Amino acid sequence: MKTKNNILLYILFIAFFAILLPAGYLTGLLSVNTISVWGRYFCFAIAALGIDLIWGYTGILSMCQAFFFCLGSYGIAMHLLLKKTVAAGAALPDFMAWNKIETLPFFWQPFHSFGWSVILCLLIPAAFAFIIGLVLFRSRIKGVYMAIITQALTLAMWLIFLRNETNLGGTNGLTDFNSILGYSLSASSVKLALYLVSLAVLCTAYYCCYRITHSKFGKVLQAIRDSESRVSYTAYKVVDYKLAVFVVAALLAAVGGMLYLPQTGIITPGRMDVKASVEMVMWVALGGRGNLKGAVIGALLVNFLYSICTSLFPDSWLFILGFLFVITVLYFDKGFMGLGDTIRQKFSATRLKTSQTH
Amino acid sequence: MNTSLLRMLMCCLLLLPLFSAGQDSASIYTAQLLQPPADSVRSQAIGRLAALRIPATFPLLMAINDKKLYLLDQKAVTIDSHPSSEGTYRLYSLYPDNTLLTNSSGQPLLLQLSALKTVDIPRADRLQLASIAPLFNLFSNDPQKRTLAYSQLKHTGDSATLRTLKAALARESNTDALRTGKEALYAMQLYNVSTTAIAKAYIDSIADNWSDNAPVLLRDYARSGFLNQETAQYAAAKAVGLEKRYDNLQRVQHFFSGLSLGSILVLIALGLSIVYGLAGIINMAHGEFMMIGAYTTYCTQVIFTKALGIPQTDLFFFFALPFSFLVAGSLGWVLERLVIRHLYAKPLESLLATWGVSLILIQTARLLFGDLTAVKTPQLLAGGWQVSPHLTLPYNRLFIIALSILMVLFTYLMLYRTRLGLQIRSVTQNRQMSACLGIETRRVASITFFIGSGLAGLAGCAITLIGNVVPDMGQTYIVDSFLVVVTGGVGKLAGTILSGLGIGFFTKISESFFQAVYGKVFILVFIMLFMQYKPKGLFPDKGRIAED
Repeated sequence: MKTKNNILLYILFIAFFAILLPAGYLTGLLSVNTISVWGRYFCFAIAALGIDLIWGYTGILSMCQAFFFCLGSYGIAMHLLLKKTVAAGAALPDFMAWNKIETLPFFWQPFHSFGWSVILCLLIPAAFAFIIGLVLFRSRIKGVYMAIITQALTLAMWLIFLRNETNLGGTNGLTDFNSILGYSLSASSVKLALYLVSLAVLCTAYYCCYRITHSKFGKVLQAIRDSESRVSYTAYKVVDYKLAVFVVAALLAAVGGMLYLPQTGIITPGRMDVKASVEMVMWVALGGRGNLKGAVIGALLVNFLYSICTSLFPDSWLFILGFLFVITVLYFDKGFMGLGDTIRQKFSATRLKTSQTH
Repeated sequence: MNTSLLRMLMCCLLLLPLFSAGQDSASIYTAQLLQPPADSVRSQAIGRLAALRIPATFPLLMAINDKKLYLLDQKAVTIDSHPSSEGTYRLYSLYPDNTLLTNSSGQPLLLQLSALKTVDIPRADRLQLASIAPLFNLFSNDPQKRTLAYSQLKHTGDSATLRTLKAALARESNTDALRTGKEALYAMQLYNVSTTAIAKAYIDSIADNWSDNAPVLLRDYARSGFLNQETAQYAAAKAVGLEKRYDNLQRVQHFFSGLSLGSILVLIALGLSIVYGLAGIINMAHGEFMMIGAYTTYCTQVIFTKALGIPQTDLFFFFALPFSFLVAGSLGWVLERLVIRHLYAKPLESLLATWGVSLILIQTARLLFGDLTAVKTPQLLAGGWQVSPHLTLPYNRLFIIALSILMVLFTYLMLYRTRLGLQIRSVTQNRQMSACLGIETRRVASITFFIGSGLAGLAGCAITLIGNVVPDMGQTYIVDSFLVVVTGGVGKLAGTILSGLGIGFFTKISESFFQAVYGKVFILVFIMLFMQYKPKGLFPDKGRIAED
């Protein structure tokens, strides 16, 4: 019964996003911008899958996913900017010339080639996650301590990215790209293609995560979440498992970031400030943690709500978000996906109570 | 020394008749200036006055230069630099004497600008005064202007300049201006002496006087090799000595800034640490209680000045201190009742829920108060304690440090000397066991939340002394204060104090080596390494309660 439901849901999801939306665009009902906006939400959903793996399944609240997301975005942004600079015949990107820098910094060099950029976009976040994870997990930092330290780390990185000396564009970030792999980014067909690629990557990522969570590895992760000390007593190397899932989550965030960049055309450090990093966690909490479908739907729903609310009543978006946070945490522990279960439970509980009193 | 004194006296005697002769011509030129028969006459009169440099005419020339020359009943007057609250100005006569005008009952005469007749002097005429502007600015009423004028005097000034400078210094009352003025005087004399001993004496005077510019001045003198090699070396050595002393004082200043930053962190983290220790709640909205405290202070100020109509008083701030504690505390108590109560022992969920609360609070503050407001620092806490010319400890920071010490003391007494404190500590150690022993854990938790939020509100009130009040001010401190809690060990008073001060010091000291941002990164890396060594903070629980 349940698997049947699931399959129906997948078919509906794919039918809606892979057929209905592009068809709507092709028949002229939807603008290409709507398509592109949904493409961006898919990128967030990919990152949310990573957060669900590490938080929902393993119980580690990592607040530095936004940082990994930005690392992916920045890598691709550097590549696109270099391509544009070379095509224009300039030696350096504009913002560097304004900052009076004479030679291209060494860490920009590999981003001339697309292949290297992609590899580095995955390698750098993975390496960061590995080092951070190694240091933190080895000293058995967990729970709240982990959340605070990773949050502080993101804050520190945010501060570094804000600086002009790091040659990453400072507060303004990197922007103003024109093409990717020779295709113009402003063309509608390219936007549609990016949308479809994002959707495909989201589906692949979902499938991978599904396999991970249903494998033995995934079972150990959930065991760690439920009782870490018992898992370690039974001779599992808890640190290795945590480290592995942390790296996987970082990679997912980076992939999301890489796809996100060409669709928005700008990346600024604002994507990884304290607010952004908590918000990313909130997508999963709202959707339902420990539930991959919940992560995807949470990310899509919150961002969709955001775009509606900010255009309809800009002042109250933070109120809505704040209330959503509080209410979800207080009453809907399992998030949006668990809404039905929660209500059913409440219902049967009250019925039980009333039947007892009578 | 005696001979120079004698020479000065003789100079003065010789100059006396000259002065009085100048006085006569000055009155003629002044009259011509105010009622000129032709524009050329006025232009000439200003030129002559500029050339004569008679101190008695300086107020008049200054008024012309500042475009503040007015006529009141055919008499030349000028106005104060700032109007009174009703938009009226005090008036000063200009020539032959420079005094405050009073009305018949002896009170200062206050007039609107419209009651005065403006005297327009063309720009070309005013430009004639540019060369002697530093000279007459020496007699300005504004100490800052005088300081600037002193610093503009070149050591190559002629004897007339020297004379004016001495006259100005004789009536100088402001310490900063006096220091700059003395330096100008010594420098001028230093370049006029011809014996090594006297030159050294002047170099000593400059070093002892120690204005900001002294090392540069001494180095310039040493480089010019003005008198001989010996004085040059002497001046260079003095300059190095001054710079070394300055560096040392700078270090003390950094130490002090670190102490004050640390004490703010302690003040914020204190409440956070108690609450976290007791209830296992990560209160991300804690920074917002600080913001509430700051806005309470602002509102108290507005109520005092607008509603009660008591302007110019420090009283509001001392009322704001308990107010901010109570308001923030009560809101904290309400929050505990509505939200936090349902989240005990679910730390990660509480983090998200309180983050939501903080979003709501920030947006509410933004809608109510706009983006930027500032609280006026009370007069009593403005300025600073001048330990030495180059080391000033601002009173507001001293006050913050004193307040933190007081609050730490208060918290200590509350935790370790009262029944409530005993209950709080026991609930912190083991919630269920305490409940079994008849402690109302819920009541204890709400009181703790009240106190914790109140402490944050108090911190917010203190922060208005050193910064603006903005809706998201809490967020700048929240991550830092969480780091303090984590490093110090949860629920540990001593740990919180030690790590708060430590992080404060570290931030300020590393800021003096690296830039602020890298200092922060450095601290973070340090904390991460520290946690390798002590994962449960500075003062971990020992024994069985340490295991979860």
